[in-house]
This record gives sequence, C-alpha cells and structure tokens, in this order.
Amino acid sequence: MAWERDPSAPGVRTYGSAGELTWGACPAAGDLAEWSDDSLMAAVVARDPAAFGVLYDRYAPLVYSTCLRVVGEPAAAEDLVQDIFVRLWQRPEAFIPARGRFVTWLLSITRNRAVDEVRSRNRRRKRELPEPEDAPFAPIATARGDDPVSLAELREEQQAVRQALAQLPPEQRRVLELAFFGGYTHQEIAARLHEPLGTVKTRIRLGMQKLRAALERLR
Amino acid sequence: MQTEHLSQAEADEYALGVLDPEAQRAAAQHALACDECRARILDAQRLIALLALAPPVQAPPPALKRRVLRAAGARRERRWLPRLARFSPAAAGLVAVAAAVVSIAGMVSLRGQVESLRDENALLQSKVDDALSQRFEIVALTNRLSQAEASAWEAQYESQLDRDMLMAVLSPDSQTAEVIAVADGFTPVGRLIWDGQQQRLWFVASRLPKLSDGETYQLWVNVDGRYRSLGTFQPDESGFARFVRYMPEGLSRYESAVVTIERAGGSPERTGPGVFFVADLSGFR
Repeated sequence: MAWERDPSAPGVRTYGSAGELTWGACPAAGDLAEWSDDSLMAAVVARDPAAFGVLYDRYAPLVYSTCLRVVGEPAAAEDLVQDIFVRLWQRPEAFIPARGRFVTWLLSITRNRAVDEVRSRNRRRKRELPEPEDAPFAPIATARGDDPVSLAELREEQQAVRQALAQLPPEQRRVLELAFFGGYTHQEIAARLHEPLGTVKTRIRLGMQKLRAALERLR
Repeated sequence: MQTEHLSQAEADEYALGVLDPEAQRAAAQHALACDECRARILDAQRLIALLALAPPVQAPPPALKRRVLRAAGARRERRWLPRLARFSPAAAGLVAVAAAVVSIAGMVSLRGQVESLRDENALLQSKVDDALSQRFEIVALTNRLSQAEASAWEAQYESQLDRDMLMAVLSPDSQTAEVIAVADGFTPVGRLIWDGQQQRLWFVASRLPKLSDGETYQLWVNVDGRYRSLGTFQPDESGFARFVRYMPEGLSRYESAVVTIERAGGSPERTGPGVFFVADLSGFR
C-alpha cells in the first residue's frame, strides 16, 4: 500500500487521545521497524501484513519465552505463539490503547493463554510442569545464550522488573513464580510448598504490594 | 454474586489466577457489573504481565514466523509495480494511479467493514449481557425454589413430628410425666412422654428461659444412681422446645430425669445445676 512508505498520506490511521482509532495525524515516516507499537497496531487494523511482521519480530521472542516457561515444551510453545499472533491478526481491535500499553496487553494474553493451555492439559494428564529452579525466575536454558530483545526500552524494562524481583524476599518471589509461570492456585501452592494457606496468601499480597511500588512507572 | 468491591489484594489475586474457581467466578461476575473493580483488575493485569519480562528471552525458531504468517493469512502483497516500471514507465504510472484509487476505495470500504464489525460486536455484547442477566435470574429463581423446597420439607417434617407425638400421647403403651421447675426463675410447662410403641422419648416444654451464648439445656436420666445423657436442646424464640429421640440401646427404664444447663455442645458428665425435674416416673418402669 502506498501509505506503507508514506504514513503521512491521507487515510493513515493512528490513535486519538481517547485511544480510539482516528483518521489524521500519523506516525513519523520512515522504516516500519521504527514505528511505535500503537502505530503498528493501527496499521494491522488496516490489514497491513508488513506491520504485523514487524510486531512479530519485535515480540515473538518474549511471547515464545513466556509460553515455553509455562508449558515447558518447545513444540507446545510454538503452537501457542502461532495461536496468539493469529488471533492478534484476526482481532487487532481487541487491543484498546486507552487501557494500557501494547506490550503489557500482549504479555497478559500470552500468559493467560499459556496457563489455560497447561491447565487444560492437566485435566487430561498429571501435571508435568518444569519444576521451578531453586532461584526464582531462573533463566530458561538456551542454546544460543543471547538475548534477542532488540528494543532498548524493553531491555530497560526487563532490567527494572528483574531488579524489583531481586529485592523481594525469596519466599515471596517463589510464590509469585509458582502463580505466574505455574498457573497454580493458592491451595495448590500451599500444598506444593507444604505451607499454610494463610502464609501463601500473605506472601503473595506482600510481594504484589512491593512490585506495584517498584514498577509503578512501567504500567 | 459478590456484592462488595474487590480490594486491591483481591484484584491482584484474580489477575494472578490464584483464587479457587468459585471465588474466581464470583469476582468476574462482580467485575462485569462494576466499573471500579474492573479498572482495578485491569491495573493488576498490567502489573502482573510485566513479570513475563523477568527471565532471559529465547528466540523462537526462525521457521515459526513463516508458519504464523501463513496461518494468519497475512502475506506481503507482491511487489510487481517496480518490475513493471522497468518495461513501461507510462503503463506503470497509470497502474500507480489506479492502485491509489483502489487503495483509497479499499480504505473507505475497510473503514465501513470495521464499523460494521464494531456494530456487530456491540450487538453480540448486548446479547451476552442479556444472557448473563438471564442466567443470574435463573440462579436467583433456583435459589428461591430450593429455599421453598427446604421450608416445605421442614413443615412436612414438623407436621410428621406433631402426628407422631399425638400418637405417643394417645397410645396406651406410653407414659407421661410432668416437668417441675427446681430452680428459681424457671416456670416451665412441660411433659416427658415415653412412647413404648415407637420406642421414642419426647420432652416438650414452654416458657423456657433463653440461655446465654455457650450454654445449652441437657436432658439426663438417672438409672441405678448414674446419670446418662439423652442429648441437648435449645428453645426457640418463644421459649418452646420439643426434643425427641429414639431410646438408646440398653435403656429400658428410668428412675428419674433432670434437665441441667451445660456448656454448648453438651457435657459427657452432668456438671450443671438441675433446673427441671421430671416427676412421677413410675410408669417408666
């Protein structure tokens, strides 16, 4: 499409202040890879496959890693990545910019979809989640050993999240990891850690309070 | 449905998915109807999503991108215009103009489609809302029906007890004894009925004082100088009590009976003072 290379042309969509799609102002012209997430999503709403490809390149590593962390099997994680991005292409209007940033929305649906998948499997067979390591939020083993996240802003956010988690007491990190990546309920975490239910609830509550204070600016 | 607002901690728990399924459903139903709590949950979801940034990131296999694009049906359009321009600039110019017209028309058409989809979405959402409110009404009706059934069952049970007690009073095999107060401030009117035919014992009394929390009335029978508990009971708001039980195994006669006040749940041995004495038990022998 003509506006792919000239986003200032009439008809380009971008987001108004209320977060609704509007016609008019446009992202800065230039390489699609430099466009903001919101601008790329506006282009995806207008069925631009190139914008979709850029979003995939930008976030597939994060989505894949989260899925892999939850389901523990590369093949299943790939299926989930496909499912999540296909849905994103088919229903991009599900993202409402006024409700928050694209990356938190995408990671939220990724984690929920992956946990749904693992819970659905567990109904069919005994849970075989990768056991969380001794160190909470331990790295996923990777043959490459590199970090494919390309955006500087994302790298900074990763650093901030890791730092916030590092400041939590280990037992609070542990319950949050079991809840987030394991998809376990209060009761399941208590049974798994052989701790009273009230203790688990308190650790989650305190952990979330500290994370909220530390990560306020990222949301 | 949960009626109170969700606290921040509850919104966090909901967003994290750690609540048990019933609590998760209750929170969701409440949030459906409460903008404030929905906003709180969305805020918690945004915070929790950031946790996915914590572990180091691993790239997916390169072939996955092709697979995803194919599955989504999102392919790049063929770049035939530059190739055409190499052969005929004029033709390419004409095609470019035509393409621009088609593109603008396409965008207008697309806008119409998006708006139409939004209308459709709004319609579907209203249908979902209708279905949800109908579901809540059905749940409320079912609850009312269950309560009515429970009340009807209770009334039927009470009526059956009334009939049984009447039969016990009228039966030639039953004996009736009067309840006499032995403590100050107690003026009960009551009877102890032993029904040999139904093998049941009834204690019926009115004007029973209400006891404080942590206390209960307990009925004892004295057999060979030893008190044996027959159970505990509480009067209703009007001071009326009807206590019935089948004869315990091995109990065929009584020398006397007494009602004491014991701690809630009853005592294994008589400890409290006797407040009623059951007189004239000769017929029980």
